[in-house]
Amino acid sequence: MTYCYHVCICLFLIIVQTTVMPYIPLFKGFYDLLTPFFIYLSIFRPLRESIPVILFFGFVMETISGGTFGLYLTTYLWLFIGVRWVITFLHVGNNPLLPFIVVAGVLMQNFIFVGSSVIFEPGLRFTSEMSITIGVQVFWAIFTGPMFLMFFNYSFGKWDKRVKEISSRKVDR
Amino acid sequence: MVLIVGVIVLITVNIILLSLFNRRYISYYGPGRIAISIVAPFQKATSTSIRFVRDIWRHYFFLVNASKENEGLRKDLNRAFERNVQFKEFELSNARLRNLLNFQKNITDRVLAAEIIGKDPSPWFKTVLIDKGKHDGVEKGMAVVIPEGIAGQTTEVSAHYSKVLLIIDHNSAVDALVQRDRARGIIKGGSAGQCIFKYVLRKHDVVVDDIVVSSGLDGVFPKGLSVGYVSGVVKPKSGIFQEVTVTPYVDFEKLEEVLVVLNPEKREFEKEK
Repeated sequence: MTYCYHVCICLFLIIVQTTVMPYIPLFKGFYDLLTPFFIYLSIFRPLRESIPVILFFGFVMETISGGTFGLYLTTYLWLFIGVRWVITFLHVGNNPLLPFIVVAGVLMQNFIFVGSSVIFEPGLRFTSEMSITIGVQVFWAIFTGPMFLMFFNYSFGKWDKRVKEISSRKVDR
Repeated sequence: MVLIVGVIVLITVNIILLSLFNRRYISYYGPGRIAISIVAPFQKATSTSIRFVRDIWRHYFFLVNASKENEGLRKDLNRAFERNVQFKEFELSNARLRNLLNFQKNITDRVLAAEIIGKDPSPWFKTVLIDKGKHDGVEKGMAVVIPEGIAGQTTEVSAHYSKVLLIIDHNSAVDALVQRDRARGIIKGGSAGQCIFKYVLRKHDVVVDDIVVSSGLDGVFPKGLSVGYVSGVVKPKSGIFQEVTVTPYVDFEKLEEVLVVLNPEKREFEKEK
């Protein structure tokens, strides 16, 4: 049931960012919505739960996006490793730190995407347009990233509670 | 120390793997097609719902402006009618000339209409998903156009859906020429929705507002389809090429329906087989 929750959330986020957000000019240049979800998994969920979800939806993102195969998987796995490492010495359940974690994740993703383009395509220049795109993503990440994390944490808590209630009722019968 | 060495090794392996994947085409037949098939139906349902709601809004709530717009459109229609008569004359003469030159291809006979159901999740890459796939006759490497000009080409095809690489993506390349000057080059994706017209020799007199059309030499896009217009020319003091920026005619932000140029000869050949 836990995987069911993760799959539903990931599918919902992918659908929103590929079909709903392109119609809304305000959200042009919004960051990858799976980034805060995978940060949430890295901080709050165990390894055996997080890794299969990250690998599967990393692969899904590879197939629906036009980038070099492996970019999303690279980003998500390094994000996971990075966040896991950070939580060994920082108490990130602490709310004031959440925006920085999401911003760091968004910056890392952009760094990998732009870096791979620059490495594999000689002659490609870093333009002002690129810095604007990154700036807009960081702006959105600062304000909405912590909200996403808190929402995921809250909704999973509710889901888990509901699932436990249903299963205990079955046992009582 | 061990941790640092481990991280460096991991990064190196990661870059090597990405480099390999970047050079070799990875076919997503199998699990990749399944992944597209999982996501695409949800994307189609969502985009259809959004269009339905938007159409209701446009048709019923915007009627206040409709009468004014109607008057304007009537005038436009009259003008368009006059121009249409002229164009028909051109079309007839064009058809005669085409027959004369043994041009057998006619793009209007070979296109398949498709709807865009999803856009690329990353702003760094410019691809879209369309609701037509292998079962509809779509194959990898087919040209995707709209009446305004070239939109892109199919790069992944699953049973009912396909991924289209737009010409504004930096991985895209279209062999093109300037209509007036016949200067040849390669249209590559640039930044801010613009394209770069690469490898245009300095000797050619390319000017702003020149129209760029496909040359047909890449074997993907039929010859003569409009790509865009020249919006900037920089002639460096040294070097053999000039830097030309092209603004595509297609508005990729508002792209909703496209036409996939099929390959009738190949399909007939397969039927014969």
